[in-house]
Amino acid sequence: MGEVPLLKELYAQYKDQGVVFIGISLDEDQKKLEEMVASKGISWPQVWDADGSLVTLFNIKGTPTYYLLDRDGTIAAKRITIEKLSSSITDLLKK
Amino acid sequence: MAGACFVTNLMRRRRVNSNVACHEINLQHTWGKMKRKIIAQLFGSLLGLMFLLTLMTRAQNKPPKLDDPELDRVQAMISQAKKESGQFSKSGSKASEPNNPNLKWAATLWEYRNKHPDTPASAIATTEALRLLVRADRISEMQTKADTVKLDEAAWKRAIYVLVEAAANKKDYNYLISKTQALSQTAVDPEIKVFAHITLGDAYWKSGDTAQARVAFQAVVTKYPKTPYAEEAEGNLMEIELLNPGQPAPQFARTTIKGDPISLAGFKGRVVVLKFWGTY
Repeated sequence: MGEVPLLKELYAQYKDQGVVFIGISLDEDQKKLEEMVASKGISWPQVWDADGSLVTLFNIKGTPTYYLLDRDGTIAAKRITIEKLSSSITDLLKK
Repeated sequence: MAGACFVTNLMRRRRVNSNVACHEINLQHTWGKMKRKIIAQLFGSLLGLMFLLTLMTRAQNKPPKLDDPELDRVQAMISQAKKESGQFSKSGSKASEPNNPNLKWAATLWEYRNKHPDTPASAIATTEALRLLVRADRISEMQTKADTVKLDEAAWKRAIYVLVEAAANKKDYNYLISKTQALSQTAVDPEIKVFAHITLGDAYWKSGDTAQARVAFQAVVTKYPKTPYAEEAEGNLMEIELLNPGQPAPQFARTTIKGDPISLAGFKGRVVVLKFWGTY
């Protein structure tokens, strides 16, 4: 939540360089998520994990949690901080 | 990473933010349960409401049953310690300095423990004394004291979190491993036993020993089947097996909140950032 402004900056910086952001929400109901996305002006796609299946698939233990995937869909990094995210994306784009 | 803690599967199901300290969640949970009970009584029937009103009238004369004055006493010490330590760190002092008020309060709470063995208030005093030592950067002193807490004591229910915090601060998991190993075998409370066992797995995992982590998680799955702990251990075993950097990310296809189909396969050739989050 507190990371949204920083994430928006990263999104603006990378969206035209072949980087995709996907938000996966653990919220109890979709309405809360929709309101937040609208009020914060979040423009990347959002998935509501209604049945918790994505939480199970990626073994998520808390939020926020980031997974970073390279161009081949391989896991490049997981559970990294938002501070680390930027440099990790830059490294991946150089490859 | 002060305040960070392991988030158990139990909490995951309740979708709790990992930044909230675990012991606070436990307290809130108890209060939440109480509140639900009270609400159920209120709406149960008019009779129930009248009954409650009678109780409340009585409560004005007598303190409510749940109020343990000893618990209040210990809680007062803890809040005072928190206040003083807040002022101390605001003044720019380092946690390890000898005049850290956490040290004085750790000693006071430990003295309380020694004078009042085996009470609920004493269990809290024990845990908080250990926690304050960690927050004053006195890890080895904390460990010496923790070694005098018998393995069958109820204090371990919360004190395990203190050991986790100390290990994470110092990136040294040896003490946490040895203690949770002992607790997983000899604790009397089954809840402490299983929690120690899964924490043992986490500790091995964080220390880089995935082989031993696997053994511990597998044991939790076998010994405590169909529990949230077994489910958590299974998730961890899967992650150790399949979710490492260099391995293909699990595929998924969903619909976004705007109604558009979205799948990982559709983003081949692009770098993908997945952010799991919640608005809470």
